[in-house]
Amino acid sequence: MTQQVTAFRPRYLSLEDKCLPAHQLAASLMDLAISRGANKERLLRGTKIFYQDIKSGRALLSPAQLLGLMANVQSQVASHDCSFLLGRRIFPSNYGHISNALLHSRDLKDALRLLQVFRLQICPFMHAYTYRDNQQLHLVFNDALGCAAQWQFITESYFTALVAGTRLLLDRRVPFHFDFPFARPRHIQEYEENLGYRLNFSQPLLRIRVDLPWLNAPFLQQSQSLKWHAIQQLKQNQSTRLGFIEAVRNHLRHHRQQTLQDTANAFGMSPATLKRKLKLYNIRFQQLQDELGMQQAIHLLQVKKLNNEDTAHLMDFSDVPNFRRAVKRWTGSTPSQLRL
Amino acid sequence: MLFEKPTMNISLLSRHQNLVSLIAACLSLSISLSFGLGQLKDWQEISWLDILGEGSIALLSLFWLFFILISRPPGRVTTGLVLGLSCFMFSALLDLFDEFVHYQAAAAGLSLIESIPAGIGMLIMSYALWHWHQEQLALNRQLCRREANTREHGQIDFITQLYRADYMRGQIDMQLRTKDDSPFSIMMLDIDNFDRFNRQFGPQEGDRLLREISELILMNLRTTDLACRYAGDRFILLLPGTDLTLANELAQDIRQAISHLAFKPYEQASPIFHSMTIATEVARAGDAVDSIISRVNRRLDDSKQHA
Repeated sequence: MTQQVTAFRPRYLSLEDKCLPAHQLAASLMDLAISRGANKERLLRGTKIFYQDIKSGRALLSPAQLLGLMANVQSQVASHDCSFLLGRRIFPSNYGHISNALLHSRDLKDALRLLQVFRLQICPFMHAYTYRDNQQLHLVFNDALGCAAQWQFITESYFTALVAGTRLLLDRRVPFHFDFPFARPRHIQEYEENLGYRLNFSQPLLRIRVDLPWLNAPFLQQSQSLKWHAIQQLKQNQSTRLGFIEAVRNHLRHHRQQTLQDTANAFGMSPATLKRKLKLYNIRFQQLQDELGMQQAIHLLQVKKLNNEDTAHLMDFSDVPNFRRAVKRWTGSTPSQLRL
Repeated sequence: MLFEKPTMNISLLSRHQNLVSLIAACLSLSISLSFGLGQLKDWQEISWLDILGEGSIALLSLFWLFFILISRPPGRVTTGLVLGLSCFMFSALLDLFDEFVHYQAAAAGLSLIESIPAGIGMLIMSYALWHWHQEQLALNRQLCRREANTREHGQIDFITQLYRADYMRGQIDMQLRTKDDSPFSIMMLDIDNFDRFNRQFGPQEGDRLLREISELILMNLRTTDLACRYAGDRFILLLPGTDLTLANELAQDIRQAISHLAFKPYEQASPIFHSMTIATEVARAGDAVDSIISRVNRRLDDSKQHA
């Protein structure tokens, strides 16, 4: 059962790695907070970011620094629209070749594939697993780096960017359906204004659903040659590093019932080291397993409409009662309630 | 338009040089009178409990003076408040200092008259407070259409200085609870192609456009109406005592006013003209805040799609 994932051990992206250009997300955040009356010094307090870095256009920041900046922005600016305004500034913007590649992509399907490959360039904080049923594509989102308290802010920003971006490229609003794991917020007007009215709150997972025909609706600025040029540029300075949680999640997804010991072996480290590393990202091994189990169960029961026996079998459960108990623990509902 | 930072802002202090000198004069006069005319008491004679009580009165009045000076622009009301409170502080200081000193027979009168300035100060302050009341009524009139019958400065939107959606929800709720039968309407307004404008001219000019349009909307309202910023480029109006026909006429007025706004981005001479999509809804029996807002939103989105 135990196997080495890769012969060489890749260096995973950590919260402290300086890999994100300061003149991109950080600059947009600073600009919009300052234009809403925030104080420049207070925004940067405790983040170890210097305003000079942002202006220079060459400095790199770590994800942890950006998360600190997001926290400061929220404490400095009273209104709830910062994340949404940020989202509207993510695309099209100065993210370099990935912006160009997306701008000239063929359709939503093409753009999503580009995002999957070059995600780190524009959206380092979240990664998605895709599922598909007869009518819809499902994107289930996960925290790639351990965003903790900023997760909702990041979700609001990037979902807004997706809606605003596709609207620009199609000149129409794509009717995305959104499922949020948190309760309906008081500032619901911002969600409706920026994301539309297909919103569900207090759901077991963070998910976007879109009807399949929208994946192939042609984008207005598509250009195969301009896109390929951008992709060539991207490939030259692409770092294909994964976030550590993301890597563990990818592994567990294919080895559902694996123990902490097996997983640690697969990553070539001791169980204690694995635990310690996960703790740096504010997550426990059991939590990762539960989240993935929940996502898989929802997919098999809700999307594929499988019965309990088949789902339990596919998810490597020894018997159906065990499976029922697990589903109840993950989602708060029984399998038959989920299937409705 | 005045931009307040959410932090403490002491920029007004420099405009009160005369009043600051007055406070400094009170401080030095009380010190020189007490310690010049009296002799220091022995260590054992001093009652520390009295000093704590009287000292905190003097200190707090100084603290209040400071907040008046950093909160208010110069003017008659400010002068009155500071003058009165300074007299009060003068008495409090004399009271405090005589815990430290004995007075000679010649100066014994000082402790007899030390409370007189406090009385005069209270009279001056009362006069100033009455004027403050008048001033507040005038300011409330200035704020009409921006504010209804409650004040929550934490809910003001920074860009337009209008109240935000939360405030409007509270006001609609209050309207729904009132028992009278007169109808009220809700209007939702959305700037057309605001995204494109933002992309073309940048978010700073976008913010300025929002500000100018909010002013223009206010100018077209009656004094009983209330305008708030809803979200993004969407505004929401509460029109008490208004049925749908009248609300639609008001909408037409605003639409016309917006179409004549020759907005000039940066310093360029050629204007960019704008239009707004507007939807109105009248409150129905059994409405809740969210149901009426979602109805007007849906109507607005419908008319956007058909445009």
